[in-house]
Amino acid sequence: MSKILDLDIIGIDSNYSTNTEPVENIILRMDKKYSMADYYPYLIVSDNIKTLDGKTDLFLIDPFQRKDAIKSKAKRALGVEISIAFAKKLNATMVGKWLKEVKSIYEFCKSNDCQFILSSGARSINELVSARSFESILKLIGVSPKNYWNEITEWLFTKNKVRWVYAKP
Amino acid sequence: MLNHREKRRYLAIIYDENNVYRHFQLHEKIVERFKELFGVIHYELAMLKLYDSKFGNILFVGCKLKYLDYFLVSLSLTQPSFTVVSLSGTIKKLRKNVSSLDIRNIKSGVN
Repeated sequence: MSKILDLDIIGIDSNYSTNTEPVENIILRMDKKYSMADYYPYLIVSDNIKTLDGKTDLFLIDPFQRKDAIKSKAKRALGVEISIAFAKKLNATMVGKWLKEVKSIYEFCKSNDCQFILSSGARSINELVSARSFESILKLIGVSPKNYWNEITEWLFTKNKVRWVYAKP
Repeated sequence: MLNHREKRRYLAIIYDENNVYRHFQLHEKIVERFKELFGVIHYELAMLKLYDSKFGNILFVGCKLKYLDYFLVSLSLTQPSFTVVSLSGTIKKLRKNVSSLDIRNIKSGVN
């Protein structure tokens, strides 16, 4: 499926992982480090500011929440993720506001050395978003897709280098 | 004056097979969202058109290349969810691309 969507790597929730063997283009998302993390590439994901600590790789942010708390807790190289799935349910006015907030989070990430990540937030195969669609949203908020993909690749590569040396399929 | 035809792009869009909506109703949902987000004028200029895909839970929709980004944003922000699985400059090529995809794998969610 990732090939169809033109995405090199897809992150999936560790609860949904049915494969017994690590797959090259999959990164598991987990709330804490489980034993399977020794064999799989993984990211520690949090959506609660209270549980955000130095071990967290990715913080799933609600664009409408206040950013003051994140500012004080965000460490360098923290991934700040925004889910598109959330915006699907909003009315047009709120989508406009959502896009404005996404742009402000991008700027926040830039000034705080965090990695801005736009994700589909998909819970089923039909909710996935293709690479080309991501690019259209990025263009709309004034982010260069080329820079975005380069930065996210570099960020994942850094994580990979530190942790997943032994996690080979 | 040259008879210039504006370029179009054709998209194959997959949707949930358990969906209760028919093809034209799904198209209406997409159109509605496009109009809400980018306005009626852009919608008219984009010339969105639904085509018969002849594949189960796949829609073929065409739009002007100039408005492709607006269309993709509208699709990504529409409920029910749609996923673009192929994009092409002609319907013929699009049909060929979709035929070469393993649709059964997409439906079952196998990577």
